Amino acid sequence: MRSLNIFLYEWKHLVRSPFKIVALFLFILASVYGLHNGADLYKKQNTEIERLKEKAQEEKETILTYFDKGEKGPEKRPWVDVTKPFWSIYYTPTYHFKKPSPTIVYNIGQTEQYGFYKKINRYSSTYDADMAKEIANPERIQSGTLDFAFVVLFLMPLLLLVLLYNIKGQEAEQGFLPLIFVQTGSKNWWILSRTLFYTILLLAVLLALLLYGAALTKVFESDNAFLSIFLYISIYLIFWVVVYFLILKYGKNIISNTLQMIGVWLFFAFIIPAVIHQWISIEKPTNLMVDLIDIKRDKTDDIYEQSNIDTDKQIFNLYPSLKQTKIAQDTIAIKKVRNDSRVALINVAMKDGISKLEKDNRAKNELISKTYWLNPVTYFQNKLNHSSNTHYNDYQMYRNDIQAIIDKRIEIMILDIWNDVKVDKTKYIEYNKTFNK
Amino acid sequence: MLQIIKNEYRFLVRSRIFLGISIAFISILILTIFLGNYQTQKQEQTHKNAKDHVRQQWISIDEMNPHSAAHYGTYVFKPANLLSSLDEGVNSVTGNVLRVEGHVQNEITHSEASQMQAVSRFGKLKPSLLLQYIVPLLLIFLAFSSVSNEKQSGRLKLLVLQGAKPLQIILSKIISVWLYGMLLLIIVLAVYSILNFQSLTAEILTRTGLFFLSYTLYYFIISAITVFFSARWQNATLALTSMLGIWIIWTIFLPNILMSSAEKWHPLPSRNEFQSAMQEDRSKGLDGHNPSDERSLALKAKVLKEYGMDSLSQLPINFDGMRMQADEEYGNSVWDKHFGNNRKILREQKQSFQLGGIVNPFISLQNISMGFMASDNLHHQEFLLQVENYRRVFIKMLNDKQTYGGSKTGNWGWKEDNAFFKSVPDFDYKPTQISNVFSNYLLDLVLLLLWSILVIVLIIFGTKKIKIG
Repeated sequence: MRSLNIFLYEWKHLVRSPFKIVALFLFILASVYGLHNGADLYKKQNTEIERLKEKAQEEKETILTYFDKGEKGPEKRPWVDVTKPFWSIYYTPTYHFKKPSPTIVYNIGQTEQYGFYKKINRYSSTYDADMAKEIANPERIQSGTLDFAFVVLFLMPLLLLVLLYNIKGQEAEQGFLPLIFVQTGSKNWWILSRTLFYTILLLAVLLALLLYGAALTKVFESDNAFLSIFLYISIYLIFWVVVYFLILKYGKNIISNTLQMIGVWLFFAFIIPAVIHQWISIEKPTNLMVDLIDIKRDKTDDIYEQSNIDTDKQIFNLYPSLKQTKIAQDTIAIKKVRNDSRVALINVAMKDGISKLEKDNRAKNELISKTYWLNPVTYFQNKLNHSSNTHYNDYQMYRNDIQAIIDKRIEIMILDIWNDVKVDKTKYIEYNKTFNK
Repeated sequence: MLQIIKNEYRFLVRSRIFLGISIAFISILILTIFLGNYQTQKQEQTHKNAKDHVRQQWISIDEMNPHSAAHYGTYVFKPANLLSSLDEGVNSVTGNVLRVEGHVQNEITHSEASQMQAVSRFGKLKPSLLLQYIVPLLLIFLAFSSVSNEKQSGRLKLLVLQGAKPLQIILSKIISVWLYGMLLLIIVLAVYSILNFQSLTAEILTRTGLFFLSYTLYYFIISAITVFFSARWQNATLALTSMLGIWIIWTIFLPNILMSSAEKWHPLPSRNEFQSAMQEDRSKGLDGHNPSDERSLALKAKVLKEYGMDSLSQLPINFDGMRMQADEEYGNSVWDKHFGNNRKILREQKQSFQLGGIVNPFISLQNISMGFMASDNLHHQEFLLQVENYRRVFIKMLNDKQTYGGSKTGNWGWKEDNAFFKSVPDFDYKPTQISNVFSNYLLDLVLLLLWSILVIVLIIFGTKKIKIG
């Protein structure tokens, strides 16, 4: 019997099995639901980003009217002077966004663990409270959103199980297995062809679902993301096909095969990731951020209380050009700018603390990565997270970008106040452009 | 009936595969409890170190202006809970650190999940993971062929001829499978109790008792439906595949879909909307740091009138502290409104999700499992409320000191000494008593009971249609 014939018989078998058809239908339904969940999140995040951009524009225009009217700032705050770099930068609305990738339609990943926008001011850090996740029901976050990746990673192996569970076992139980072997010539080829039929069927279904998802967002605008996601999903499917094929090949009857298949699924989907999660929690307990707390309070107090000589030395170390400014020679004027510049020293201290914390997190991630060889579900989950820019590292890059803006804001503020720059409308617009690139 | 149950166990014990699987599974369960406990102990130690460190910093303040101290503030860390070693609930996704300071109610931050890449979609290897997902599967595997095998071998006919009623036979099969589930449950709770013997209180015993009851009901539902299918369907394969289908829909599919839907039906505001709305409401009140604010001026006039003075400098108290406290009290009404609204939405989401228990008893089990183990969102919200109440007392103490401690208005350089800061109490978390929150889980418990009754009715009426031969 040639493969084509085996495929045709398998097709007939499939359409006559209501159980398998219902399972396939439920899988498609769950996938579509998951894709829409991803697309909804994509739209929700983009709408929120647009809303914040409009808000920032309004804030900016309010300040611009002060320049037009020749006013110094809000009437109720007479101490504000937007022509001074300190206040001008203070009133420069600076937002940084983590724009959702269109591929989020396939995989929400770790999106819900983190914030995706940040308003930056001179005291900002990358571990501020507003960097935390959006307001959400923790019980929902714990159970996870049903996205397409969840359907693929956890339900697809189950669908494959439903499609394959009675291959060979049914024939063995009905007693015509030897007849089939005589007709096909090769037991392995017969099982493989039947398995292959469902693999091709599932690949076609998955491709169709991926294309459907692509129609919901602009997936093809992301470089190769579609292809890489399809590739990972295909490899993942093949992994399960191989595992199930081996069970079917050596299995004796339907019940024993089904039990083994579900056992393997439980092992890979539940037990191994759960064991590793538990191990990581014991090995590297949650960081309660005590070091950062110390920097935020005690180190900040120390910086404000240290001698002027030490402060000047540290500030000049950071920005050597300040030494040559007129203000640096003016013992009266330097007092105010020195005080405004201490924020740069606090920023340096915060960055030191954060780098230690992130080193800890990297160590945790390395431990997790080392277990990939025995933990394929987590491996593929993280690969999909990478492809949809929703991995821990993508949020780390987002934090790095925010830190770069914080540094830039502080640097420009300090250079301009020490150089006694006069801010006009053009300069204010320039600040806006620089900090919101 | 007792004889049939005894016979069932004789058969099971004779099966080496069954014995092997049972021993292996019980070992894993015990290991899980041990690891869960060890993790909780480690977490408790980390929590204690952090708490002591922050407290030490507070009581080491030599001298400071009370309002500066309000800005210096303190931090509260979410404590580890002994019960969470059985079911961790939402603990890994909620934050752990909460800043307590003047002028603002902060949100809890720094969750465990945000500190690493994705690991497990179903959480850590806690007993709840095994008890909720794996044990029901074991019960299904034990029960799916229990009656169909008897039919195929002709033993069922023989039993009926000997005088046993079909209902008795089916009930005995259900009870024997169910007892196996209960045995695993008893082992879990016994090992847990031995490991934590010194910490056992009436509260913990009540909670674990309710935990036991809920799982017992769920295991009965699973065992009964599987045995019923085994009796109703002509072959064991059909019974197995039907039950696996139900298991997948109940445990993997529906909870996820229903929870996502509940969040869509009762949407929470975005963080920015939430903050902006609070900011707007806050701006309508008094600004503690702005003496020329209209509402500050009105308060000033009122206080001067009360004391019969013409200017703030004549007051025997420090008006700045009073203004700060007025600012706090207005702020508190704003936080109550907005945080209260979020809590209301979360409650509505939870209630909608709980109703999912009508079609899926697993949802009820999951809810009460983490609820009775004090690790659900309700307990998390209770913790946050306690911290906020503490913040209000903490800040009021500092503002009152500023007001009545002996300083005069405008004297921001005035400092209070170390004795005062030592006298400010530390946050003392009072675990939520089950008696106070039990009503929230009544619906889940009732639904599990109703499911059990429904299953019994199904068996009583369905058994009549079962073919013996």
